[in-house]
Amino acid sequence: MTRRDKALQLARRGGIVTGLAIAGLVGVYIRALVYTPIERFQGPAQKIFYVHAPVAWASLLAFAVCGLLSLAYLFMRDRRVDLLAVSSAEVGVALSVAMLTTGPIWGKPIWGTWWTWDARLTSTLFLFLLFVGYLVLRGALSDLEVRARYSAAVGVMALVLVPFIHVTVYWFRTLHPAPVVMKPESPSLPGVMLTTLLISIAVFTLLYIGFLMLRYALAVLEDVKLEEAAHELS
Amino acid sequence: MTWRGAVAIARKDLAIEWRTKTAFMSSLVFAVLVLAVLFFARDATAVSAFDMAPGVLWVTFTFAGMLGLNRAFLVERENRSLDGLRLSPATPTAIFLGKVAGNIVFVGVVELVSLPLFVLFYDVAIWRQVPLLIGVIAMATVAFVAVGTLLSAMVVRTRFSEVMLPVLLLPFLVPPIVSAVQLTWRILADRPLAEMTGWLSLLGSFDIVFFILSLLLFDAIITE
Amino acid sequence: MHASSDPLIVATDVSWRVGYRWIVRQVSTTVSAGEVLLLVGGNGTGKTSLIRLVAGLVRPTKGAIQRRAEVGMVAHHTMLYDALTAHENLAFVARLHGVDPARPVELLNRMGLAKAIDQRIATFSRGMLQRLAIARALLHEPRVLLLDEPLSGLDDAGSRVVVGLLEELRDQGCAVVIATHQLVELLDVATDIGFMAAGKMVEHAPVAGRDAGQVVNRYRALLEEGQ
Repeated sequence: MTRRDKALQLARRGGIVTGLAIAGLVGVYIRALVYTPIERFQGPAQKIFYVHAPVAWASLLAFAVCGLLSLAYLFMRDRRVDLLAVSSAEVGVALSVAMLTTGPIWGKPIWGTWWTWDARLTSTLFLFLLFVGYLVLRGALSDLEVRARYSAAVGVMALVLVPFIHVTVYWFRTLHPAPVVMKPESPSLPGVMLTTLLISIAVFTLLYIGFLMLRYALAVLEDVKLEEAAHELS
Repeated sequence: MTWRGAVAIARKDLAIEWRTKTAFMSSLVFAVLVLAVLFFARDATAVSAFDMAPGVLWVTFTFAGMLGLNRAFLVERENRSLDGLRLSPATPTAIFLGKVAGNIVFVGVVELVSLPLFVLFYDVAIWRQVPLLIGVIAMATVAFVAVGTLLSAMVVRTRFSEVMLPVLLLPFLVPPIVSAVQLTWRILADRPLAEMTGWLSLLGSFDIVFFILSLLLFDAIITE
Repeated sequence: MHASSDPLIVATDVSWRVGYRWIVRQVSTTVSAGEVLLLVGGNGTGKTSLIRLVAGLVRPTKGAIQRRAEVGMVAHHTMLYDALTAHENLAFVARLHGVDPARPVELLNRMGLAKAIDQRIATFSRGMLQRLAIARALLHEPRVLLLDEPLSGLDDAGSRVVVGLLEELRDQGCAVVIATHQLVELLDVATDIGFMAAGKMVEHAPVAGRDAGQVVNRYRALLEEGQ
């Protein structure tokens, strides 16, 4: 099986995973709107929370995967690792756009303002900008090997930067509700809502995997094209 | 070996800069302009210059410093003299340390020249706090220069390096610059040291972590 | 001449690619002390890349290169700093290599740059820059010399100085690799010739026993073949 065939097969599988995730998303929303009670203090606006929090999780996951793959690239110097890293970064950027748009929509009715310099929102904003920079840098470098090496260095630095940014912004000021899920004694989120949220997180993780498969397949196909062009030249 | 190489490289960079002074003069004039222009960027009846001062100081330092960072590797690009460094016994570590040292002197001099102007323009009486303030400036400068040197080694390979450096560098400057601003206003307001330890340790750990990380990654950037 | 008595450069099955294009393919060669290998071939046949590989500036994708002595290199680019004077440029290199601080002046005299010693090199002519670049490469007395078009920009007098210098270095036991189009001028220095085509060293033969006409004709034939 050629690389092209493998990539096409991966794209088909990625399409199936993405399709499943989108079906799951529909399910989550039916559950959230119809079967999950309206939150007492926040009202119906709280429903967007079932997208906002999971999509934030998925974008962080995407960036973390990119950072870890970047580190791996520096040791392995394998082009496939680089292609997977950039695929994850791009998916992460797309997901963080969703996070950064749903945040203010939630924030307006709840906090009374579209944008707040809340710790998590701000961290994501900087992370988003950082990875846009990562993609811009890649676009400006034409040598494939140099591009892979340089962007891997930025990816590793981003991975290390995240905790620093988070502490900085958190100390600066925070308006965000205290972590609502992972409190060991008593989860402050009622059971039904928690279940909906956890299902949604699973669905968004699946969506990330589907997107990643599709994007990686595309990256491999582009690479195959480059390889063919190089063969024609020589 | 490493030290000899690093010192030679830093000396050479500063000699080149001393000869041309283009980057230095641009950075300095830029710093003075920012200090002066930002003074007017407020409602004078509601916001005192003193309240704005810490933020203005760090905006000035950050942007003025950034103007000079690309210079270190642009100089190596013009006749591909970076190849010459790589062929010499100077290790990547020596090259990085030399470049960082040269940049620290460069940024440090811009800072030291604009600091008195800042005191004058914003009427902050800092004499007693000077040692502490300089300590904070030094710590933030190390963070700024270490990360900036690494990133500038990459962006000089691209077509739009002048724009690319700030885009990549600024997210990394969030922790050190926010810490420096927080520390600066506390210092200027004469707050007790206990209120500063948190930010000082954040800045200090950023320095250590990112200096070492930049040093390690530089090897991967410079070796083909 | 000193065949394989003291190999200073040993390249074993070296290949190098950029992206998916193979620039250098399976080159194996040995250059010993007292040998001068002339790399000839058309543009884009991998001469410069091979020089950079031997210098260690880029890593081979496959194969291995051993350098058993310090390397001096003259490249397309001068590797000099325009804002510094001739002497400052060499003094910097001397400091990097930890060589005697008197050596730059000695070499500048040797290369006929004595008068321009304290001039900024931004004012230098192409030929002066080339001579300075050669001085830069020789500063630390390397026993492996890699020269990419060493005669470019030099007039006849300048070329003669450099050719004389190369003969001297060869006889002192340096291993020299020269990539060039100026085959005729450098033929007297060379002990071996490597013909490059499409990244391969298609022919590798000693110069001894062949007259200049033969070598030049063979070179022309190979060039035409490549096109």
